[in-house]
Amino acid sequence: MALASIALKNLRRQKKRSFLLGGAIAFGVLIVMIIDGFAGAFMQNVSENFANIAAGHIFVEGSEKSASGKTLSVIRDDTILMEVLKKTGIPAKYVSKRSTARGTLIFESKKTTVAIQGVDFSRESYLRERLILVQGSFDAMSDRQGLILSEPTARKLNAQIGDRLLFQLTTLTGQQNVGEMVLVAISPDNGLLSGFSSYANLSYMSELLDMGDGEYMNFGIYLPSLAGMDRYADEFYTELKTRANVKERKKSVEAGDSAASPMARFFGGDTDKETWSGVRYSVSTLNDLLSSVKQIVNVLNGVSLAVLLVLFLIIMVGILNTFRMTMYERIREIGTMRALGMQRPQVRNLFLLEALFLALAGAIVGIAAAALVMAILSAFNLGLNSPIFMLLRNGHLSFKVPVWQAVENIAIIAALTLLAALLPARSAARLEPAQALRTTK
Amino acid sequence: MISVISVRRMAIALVALAAFTSAPLFAEAPDFKALLKAVDANGDFGTRDYSAVFTIVTQKPQEKDTVMQIKLFRRDERDQVVWIILKPDAQKGQGFLKVEDNIWMYDPESGKYSHSTMKEQIQNSKAKSSDLKRASYAEDYDIAAWEEGMLGKYPVYVLSLKAKNNEVSYPTLKLSVRTDKPLVLKEEDYSLSDRLMRTVLYPPKYIEVAGRTVYSQILIQDELNKGEKSQLTISDVSVANLPDATFSKAFLGQSSR
Repeated sequence: MALASIALKNLRRQKKRSFLLGGAIAFGVLIVMIIDGFAGAFMQNVSENFANIAAGHIFVEGSEKSASGKTLSVIRDDTILMEVLKKTGIPAKYVSKRSTARGTLIFESKKTTVAIQGVDFSRESYLRERLILVQGSFDAMSDRQGLILSEPTARKLNAQIGDRLLFQLTTLTGQQNVGEMVLVAISPDNGLLSGFSSYANLSYMSELLDMGDGEYMNFGIYLPSLAGMDRYADEFYTELKTRANVKERKKSVEAGDSAASPMARFFGGDTDKETWSGVRYSVSTLNDLLSSVKQIVNVLNGVSLAVLLVLFLIIMVGILNTFRMTMYERIREIGTMRALGMQRPQVRNLFLLEALFLALAGAIVGIAAAALVMAILSAFNLGLNSPIFMLLRNGHLSFKVPVWQAVENIAIIAALTLLAALLPARSAARLEPAQALRTTK
Repeated sequence: MISVISVRRMAIALVALAAFTSAPLFAEAPDFKALLKAVDANGDFGTRDYSAVFTIVTQKPQEKDTVMQIKLFRRDERDQVVWIILKPDAQKGQGFLKVEDNIWMYDPESGKYSHSTMKEQIQNSKAKSSDLKRASYAEDYDIAAWEEGMLGKYPVYVLSLKAKNNEVSYPTLKLSVRTDKPLVLKEEDYSLSDRLMRTVLYPPKYIEVAGRTVYSQILIQDELNKGEKSQLTISDVSVANLPDATFSKAFLGQSSR
């Protein structure tokens, strides 16, 4: 206790030096905490935003083989899927049914390639809440041929509300088809995802794809939250397997084949070379789709650790030099304390305690500063139409640092600071009292 | 050397043509099935090697015309095709060799070959496998309606064809075929929603090769993107036997020099 008191007094005695060293530690902690906080919220934000775009957390796709061996992505009858959903008791907020067609939109002499999602707007009420419109209204989608485009796509085509556009696509089986659509609404530019922000009525899109009434491509289960997504998907898969032909659940990372990954299937169709008869279902989750995004989080975590280590390597050198200097400055004081009966371990511990207090104070100030910075950054509403909206939570930057991670960071900082101070502390402890007292500065 | 299969194909084509031309024109509907078989047979070189130079001039509104010229070598019997790009200069010397499902590409700048498969090419493009199959009017389509008409100075049969299956690119075609010869003068391709997508004109400028009449010019007009059209000119057509070495990777490298 007495040692701790002396250590604190020593730190107070050299206010400027303590402030600079503690400040360096606090700055390091601030940077690391912000990176950790961003990485922590990144995955959750991307997942939640992607769930809104894809209208689901769990996805079921039906595949059939045509007479010529072509894989057709179609769900012709979803009775079994609805029964399985009911039987498993998955708390679905809603079920989405979509058909997506890639093709060329043509207006006058301009054209552009787009993926248009056929959506049942009466069923997907949530999309109305999430999708902001800068022109037009959702009500106009009562026009069966209604079309919603993102601002960049509409601009590229030089199309205005009320214009009639042609959509050239290939049907499910590969035939050429052309549909006429009316631009009824325009959504804001949302960066890279503008290409996926084109919506039409499901029934018309299915007709253009040459599907029958009530047929569509993707069945999505939208959950109240991300929690339990994989467990529910496993339950759905297991129950569905007892009733229908289901493709073995294989996550993209395990598959090791980018072309056959769930993400590739979602955006580019099935490349499966197997054959089967009738319909075969495949079940995937957002986590399967976003496995590549998880790698970004891992990279961010790695960067955070590297920053932590580099920053503290620099700080450690500073601590080492400062404590060595402090030792020489206090050499006569150490000699006196030793002459008065202070043992070597106590001298060493005095230095280590000073380092520990410095580290803890720096870390606490750093965490507090990081919390303040993150709170300020989170307060700005960048809007749902921000180009980086995928990384945002309801239009705001968000950060998430688990308590264990903050504790871990403090522990690492404390350990490194102690390590840096150990050498000068041991040198101080080894000083002979008589020799120390004779030393003149 | 003409093989037995080739002779058989020619015999079928001749029988089909004979059947068509011998049908009484006004008494009853001509045998259009036979006519379509004859049209198909005219473009089928069977076991013979085939080579030609294709020049494609593409016009787009408010854009400069682009010209591409390729030299094509075909040996259908073994499903072998070689094509060398002659124009534009930026791509000159690039060569492709297709043997069954395999494709080798030669880049003259690096002098390297790369390999891919037809399946990969199809998956990485908007093309469908049906796009790569040779169209067969007789096998893939039924005749839904017909009428007689005139196209320029030529009397023609205008045939409305409906696809027999849903995997051919165009579900409906309207063909204008000369009444005197099994040669198409005009083809209109319609989408599933029955919208005219493109018009292909075959001007009556022909090259006679090994008893076949080959179109020397084809004009393709995009009906959706108004003003976009391509003109395909075929020249240096030959059905002379090609050396086996033509269908090899080494040939691609030599041709680029």
